[in-house]
Amino acid sequence: MNSQGQHNAHGDEVGESIVMPVPTAAPLVLSLGATLLAAGIVTNLVLSALGAVVLLWGVAVWVLQLLPGRGEHEHALVAMEMRPQPIAKAIIAVAPRPTSFIRRMQVPAQIHPYSSSVWGGIVGGIAMSGVALAYGVVSGRGIWYPVNLLAAMLMPAFATADNAELERFDGTALALGLVIHGMVSAGAGLIYGMLLPTLPRWPALWGGIVAPLLWTGGVYSFMGVLNPVMNARVDWPWFVASQVVYGLTAGFVVVHSKTVSVGQTGRGSGNETGSPPR
Amino acid sequence: MAVWESSAADISPPAVAHAPSWATTVDHKQIGILYIVTSLVFLAVGGLEALVIRAQLWKPDSHLVGPEVFNQMFTMHGTTMIFFVVMPMLFGFGNYLVPLMIGARDMAFPRLNAFSYWMFAFGGAVTYLSFLAGGAPDVGWFAYAPLTEYAFSRGTSTDYWILGILISGIGTLATAVNLVTTILTMRAPGMSLGKVPLFVWMMMFDGILLIFALPPVTAAIIMLLLDRSLGAHFFDTQAGGSAILWQHLFWFFGHPEVYVMALPAFGIISEVVPVFSRKVIFGYESVAAATVAIGVLSMGVWAHHMFTVGMSDALDAIFSGASFLIAVPTGIKMFNWIATIYGGKLVLASPMLFALGFLAMFLIGGLTGIMLAAVPIDWQVSDTYFVVGHFHYVLFGGSLFAIMAAFYYWFPKATGRMMDERLARWQFWLMLAGFNLTFFPMHIAGLLGMPRRIYTYSADRGWTIWNQLSTVGAAMLAVCFAVFFWNLFDSVRRGAPAGDDPWDAWTLEWATTSPPAPYNFEQIPLVRSRRPLWDLKHPEDPDWEHES
Ligand code: HEM
Ligand SMILES: [Cu+2]
Repeated sequence: MNSQGQHNAHGDEVGESIVMPVPTAAPLVLSLGATLLAAGIVTNLVLSALGAVVLLWGVAVWVLQLLPGRGEHEHALVAMEMRPQPIAKAIIAVAPRPTSFIRRMQVPAQIHPYSSSVWGGIVGGIAMSGVALAYGVVSGRGIWYPVNLLAAMLMPAFATADNAELERFDGTALALGLVIHGMVSAGAGLIYGMLLPTLPRWPALWGGIVAPLLWTGGVYSFMGVLNPVMNARVDWPWFVASQVVYGLTAGFVVVHSKTVSVGQTGRGSGNETGSPPR
Repeated sequence: MAVWESSAADISPPAVAHAPSWATTVDHKQIGILYIVTSLVFLAVGGLEALVIRAQLWKPDSHLVGPEVFNQMFTMHGTTMIFFVVMPMLFGFGNYLVPLMIGARDMAFPRLNAFSYWMFAFGGAVTYLSFLAGGAPDVGWFAYAPLTEYAFSRGTSTDYWILGILISGIGTLATAVNLVTTILTMRAPGMSLGKVPLFVWMMMFDGILLIFALPPVTAAIIMLLLDRSLGAHFFDTQAGGSAILWQHLFWFFGHPEVYVMALPAFGIISEVVPVFSRKVIFGYESVAAATVAIGVLSMGVWAHHMFTVGMSDALDAIFSGASFLIAVPTGIKMFNWIATIYGGKLVLASPMLFALGFLAMFLIGGLTGIMLAAVPIDWQVSDTYFVVGHFHYVLFGGSLFAIMAAFYYWFPKATGRMMDERLARWQFWLMLAGFNLTFFPMHIAGLLGMPRRIYTYSADRGWTIWNQLSTVGAAMLAVCFAVFFWNLFDSVRRGAPAGDDPWDAWTLEWATTSPPAPYNFEQIPLVRSRRPLWDLKHPEDPDWEHES
C-alpha cells in the first residue's frame, strides 16, 4: 500500500491501492481434475487418467501463484464517488426513533444469578435425597436401595438384579448415583433460575408444585425406557413427594437470592422503571 | 421503507464492479454469490422433485410415476436439499458476510475458497449426471447398507451418489477450515472473540462441527465405494460385514449435520431479530455459550436415529437422555430471542417477518423432536410420515425461513438495491400457509400409520385426505418460491437503490458501500464494542461505555 495522503469518509489517511490476490483458474482446474478422476471410476478409466493430468496441471498453476510476486497485485481504490458515505446519525423512517435506553434495554432486566440457580439445584438435590433415604428406611429396604435404583439407569448389571442385591451397598452404584443426581439437580436448578423471573407471581407455586408435577408426569411416561429397573420398583407417592421437596427447596434458594441486572452496566443498570435514565 | 439519510442513493452501483470473471475469481463476495446462485438452481430442482413426490401421492393407487421414479425422486430430493441447497446456501452467506462482519479484506485462503465452491458445484453436477447415465440414485439420502451393496443396487446410480457426495464433501471440509481460520486470525483490531457478531460465532462453530463430523462419513463413503467396486465387505452382511456400522458412521455425521444447517440459521436470526426489534440481543454470552453446548452435545446423540435397530436398553437410554439435553441450550436461545423481541420497538419489515416465522416453525419442529427422543414414541412412529413432518419443520421451518430472512436482509448489501417489500409479504404469507398445510398433516398421516418412502397407498387406510392437504400445500409453496425467484430477478435489475445502510443496522458490513469494493474496506475499522456502527452513530452514548 503506498501512501498518497488521501482521506476516506472517516477522515483517516488511506493509500491509493491495496494488495489483493489476483484471480486465477487454478482452483477451477484442480477441482475439475479431481472430479474427472472420480468420474472415471463409474464411466471409463481413460477419464480418470485425463483427470489426473488436469489435476496435476491445476496444482502446478496453483503453486506458481504462490511464488513471490506472482499471486498478488496492487488493487487501485475505486472512484471517489463509489466510496462509503460518512456514517451519519441514525434516521429510521419506518418507526419513531425510540429513546436510546429502550434500544439498549434488555428485558427481563433483573435475573437470578446463574450461580445461585445452580446452588439452589444442589441444595434441592440434597433435600430430595433426604426424602429418598427416608423412603429406604421406612420401606425397610435400607438406605442403599434408592441409590442403587437410581444408578441402575447406567448399570446394565442391575437390569436383572433382585431386591436383595439392590439393597446391598455397591461402590460403583454410589459413585454413579451421586454423579447422576448431582448433575441433574444442578442442571434443573439452572433452568429454574432462568425461568422463574419470567413466570407471573407465586414462584413457590410454579417452582415448587407445578413444575415437579409436570416433570414427574414426563418421567412417569418414559421411565420404562430410561430406567426399567427403577420403573418396576418405584413408589410413585414417595417419588412425587421427593420431587416436590426438591422443587420447593431449589425454588426457595433461587427466589431468595439477590437479583442482578442483565449486562446493562453503566447508565441503564438497575433502572427497574424502564424509563430513560436521563 | 427505511431510508438512510446521507447515503449515495442517487448513484446506483452496478451489481458487481467492473465485470469480473466468475470462473477465476478468488473474491469471497463473488464466491459467496456463486454459492448462493448455484444453490438456488438446486433449490428449484429439489422443489420440482418434491412436487413430483406430492403429485404421485395425491390419490390412492396412483401410477403417475411408478415406484422406480418415486424412489429416485425422494432420494434426489433429500440429497439435493441437504447437500446442494441448505448447506451451500448457508456457506454462501457465510462466505459473503464473515469477512465483512469481522472487518477483513477476504477469507484466510482465497484460492482454497474458490476450490471449495468448484468442488461443491462439480459434486452436484456429478450426482445429477446419473440421470443421463441410466438412472438417478434411489437408495435414500442416507444410503443405508446393505441396500447400497452391489448385490441390491446394480448399475452405477449408487456410485454416482457416492462420488457426488465425496467430491462436494471435500469442498465443504475446505470451507470449514477456511471459516475457522479466518475468524480466528483475521478479525479487525479490537474485535475480541467476545465482540464478534453472533452470526460469525455460529459460523465458526459450524466449521468446527464439520471438521469433526465430516471425516467419518467420508471414510464410510470410501469404504462403500471399495465394497462396490473392489469387492471389499465392510458393510456386506453376507460376507461378515456390518450394516449397523454404516448407520453409526453415517449418523455420526448425519445428526451434527442437522446442526450444521441450524447453527448458521440461528446466527442469521441473532442478527436480524435485534436490528428489527431495535434492541441489543438479550444475553449475548448465553447465546454464544449455548452454541458451544449444542455443538458438543450434537456429537453425542447420533444413535437416536437408530432406536429401532435393536441396540441395548442402556444405550437407548443414554442417547435418549443426551437428545433431551439438547433441548436445554436450544431453549436458552429461543428464550434469548424472545426476550430480545419482548419490549422492543418492532419493525415488521420482511427480514423480521421471516425471522418470526422461523421462531414459530422451529419451535414446533423442536417439540416433535423431543417427542421422538423418547424411545417408546420413536418405536411407534419411526419411519412414518410423523418423522417426515418433524424434520421438515426443523429443516424447512428452521433453515429456509432463516435463509429467506437473510436474503431480504442482506440483498441490499450485495446488490445495492432493495427487494420488493410487497412481493416479500405475499411470499411470506404464502410460505407460512403453504408450509403448515404441507407438513402439519404429515404428522397426522404418520400417526395413522402411513410409512415414509411408499410410492402409493390404498384408499381404505384413511390417509387420502391428509395427503391431499399436503399436496395442495406443496402447490402453494411452489407459488411462493415463484414469487421469490421473480422478486430476486426483478429487484437485481429494478430494485430501489439501497444505499450503504438501509436498515440502520449495527454491524460492520453496513459500514462499507453496497456492493462493497473488492477489498471491502479502504481502512480496516477499529472496533470497540459488539455494535461498532452504533458507536459511530451515537457518539454521545456509545456501547463500549456499557460493555464490560
Ligand atoms: C418444497 C417443499 C418441500 C416438499 C413439498 C417436500 C416434500 C417431501 C416429501 C413428501 C418427502 C417424503 C418422501 C418419502 O419419504 O416418501 C420428503 C423427503 C425429504 N425431504 Fe422434503 N420437501 C420439501 C422441502 C425440503 C427441504 C427444504 C429440505 C431440507 C433441507 C427437505 C429435506 C428432505 C429430506 C432429507 C427427505 C428424506 C429423503 C429420503 O427419505 O431419502 N425437503 N420431502
Ligand atoms: Cu438426529
